[in-house]
Amino acid sequence: MSQRILHHPVLGSLNQRKTLHFTFNESSYTAYEGETIAAALLASGVRTLRVHEEKGTPRGIYCNIGHCYECRVSVNGVPTVRACMTLVQDGMEVTAGTVLPTPLKKGDVAHG
Amino acid sequence: MDSHQLIVCRCEEVTLADLLETAQAYQCTGRELKLRTRAGMGCCGGRTCRTLLDQIIVQTTGQVPSHTVPLGYQPPVRPISFTTLGGR
Amino acid sequence: MDDVLVIGAGPAGLSAAIACAKHGLSVRVVDEFYRSGGRLLGQLHQEPDGSWWNGIDEAARLDQEARSAGVEISAGVSVYNVNRIDNGWEVSTTAGEFHAPMLLLATGASETAVPVPGWTLPGSMSIGAAQVMTNVQRVRVGQRGVVIGVNILSVAIARELQLAGVKVDRMILPPSSAVTGHAGNPEAVMRSLLRVAHLAPSPFIRWGSQLMKSHWMQRLGVSLYPAKGFSMWDIPIQLRTGALEIVGSRQVEGVRVARITPDGQTIPGTEEVIPADFVCIAGGLSPLAELAAIAGCPFAYVPSLGGHVPIHDEKMRTPLPGLFVAGNITGIESAKVAMAQGSLAGLSIASTHGVLSDQSLIQQAIHQVEYVRQKATIQFHPEISSGRAIISQMATECMGI
Repeated sequence: MSQRILHHPVLGSLNQRKTLHFTFNESSYTAYEGETIAAALLASGVRTLRVHEEKGTPRGIYCNIGHCYECRVSVNGVPTVRACMTLVQDGMEVTAGTVLPTPLKKGDVAHG
Repeated sequence: MDSHQLIVCRCEEVTLADLLETAQAYQCTGRELKLRTRAGMGCCGGRTCRTLLDQIIVQTTGQVPSHTVPLGYQPPVRPISFTTLGGR
Repeated sequence: MDDVLVIGAGPAGLSAAIACAKHGLSVRVVDEFYRSGGRLLGQLHQEPDGSWWNGIDEAARLDQEARSAGVEISAGVSVYNVNRIDNGWEVSTTAGEFHAPMLLLATGASETAVPVPGWTLPGSMSIGAAQVMTNVQRVRVGQRGVVIGVNILSVAIARELQLAGVKVDRMILPPSSAVTGHAGNPEAVMRSLLRVAHLAPSPFIRWGSQLMKSHWMQRLGVSLYPAKGFSMWDIPIQLRTGALEIVGSRQVEGVRVARITPDGQTIPGTEEVIPADFVCIAGGLSPLAELAAIAGCPFAYVPSLGGHVPIHDEKMRTPLPGLFVAGNITGIESAKVAMAQGSLAGLSIASTHGVLSDQSLIQQAIHQVEYVRQKATIQFHPEISSGRAIISQMATECMGI
């Protein structure tokens, strides 16, 4: 079953929309014009948009209106882009955040 | 899961236990709680957990909410790149 | 340079922009969402007469009216700083700096978080997130979900999810903790639902109103509350079930729940895991006033308005010259109130700018706000009017008017 709500009893049906192609972590996905990155990925079953930079725990959308920044991804190399606020454009390259080194974190012992 | 291991600040993964212990030990203001634990200092600028930190201070120190906003706001209120600030 | 800069293209911001533009002012509206409408987008509820109130249509109507009146709407632009300068305001945005003598902050509200163990797992989101995904983005947030947090907003949105074919398995309470306030206490939740009972016609509330006339009856009501809950639009509302933890390895797989006492304590031996692929967390709304704070506006703490709100008078003026507020930044109310406040703020700005010839329009707009408030079918707090009175009093003291 498609995750897209094409027909709605009050809001009506979505008409033919232009198909767009984009990549997320180098895999190809399809979106429809007017969909945010978060929506297009969710429609394809992708919930995890990044991992916590330090702990590595998976994260997805939380507020979906740009307040919480949990859905931040890189778009065409630009970091800290909110997937919930950004419309997919054809050919967009989206990548998830990964765990970053934190060498100076309190309590850590420097290795090497 | 121990409910005290509950994450309150999602950005910095600060737990309720950390916050309660810090607030109790230092009987501090919201600002000091934030500086000691990093709660509210992550990417979202505290928009998600700020009211929770306020509640923790009220409950552990008995400080009554006043008309002054307990945790101040500083610009920028959105994370922005140096390019936006005029850098290259 | 524009005469007026409006931050927030929701019901308040757009209504204000329209009023300003109609009085000959040049107006720019910025909003960080990719389209205008603010939290109108996604709102969908049935009026007492059975007709549907569709926020997307309302947003389109306001957007069209604003553009026809000459308003410049810049969507997808985030504001990160506001500075008072000579003769006005400097606003720093991701699209550069804007300057205007008059600034209206109509930034709305943010959702109050209710932390639940496991709430960072993908698939766990705020109730508003699910609303936008469902009604605006038209993508299902999952196959079967649990709503944690029972309040007037979450009940309304749960119905919207159901309407779109998204299964809401049940609505339950968050775990009682130092950061959940009264949201995990069945008695308190029941009381807050009933305080707005007369405003929200529904089978659940009608049942409740009959039963809950007095305090001891309320206690009895919660004590006798059936384990399966009462269903509203086929969604079981289980006030005597509390979430213990959202479970899943890499994303939401279910919610561990238990029966709870009338005051919110877990009843041992009643735990079970409810399978779910999404969870919505609902903690209500708070005014989003960060830009008013960095602008230097004084605040008032008024719980019935949702927390800290910038001080403003009945004409939506703050104590700072050229700084106005409207909509949910001034207190949590319905979109219709926000529109009325926006129109009032627009007239007030026009008056301050010296282009309003008929000053009686302001008094009419003030009355209109009050009228819409009294008529509102969705009211988030029963003591809105007394909260408003506190703000007016503080504004009078603050502004010497």
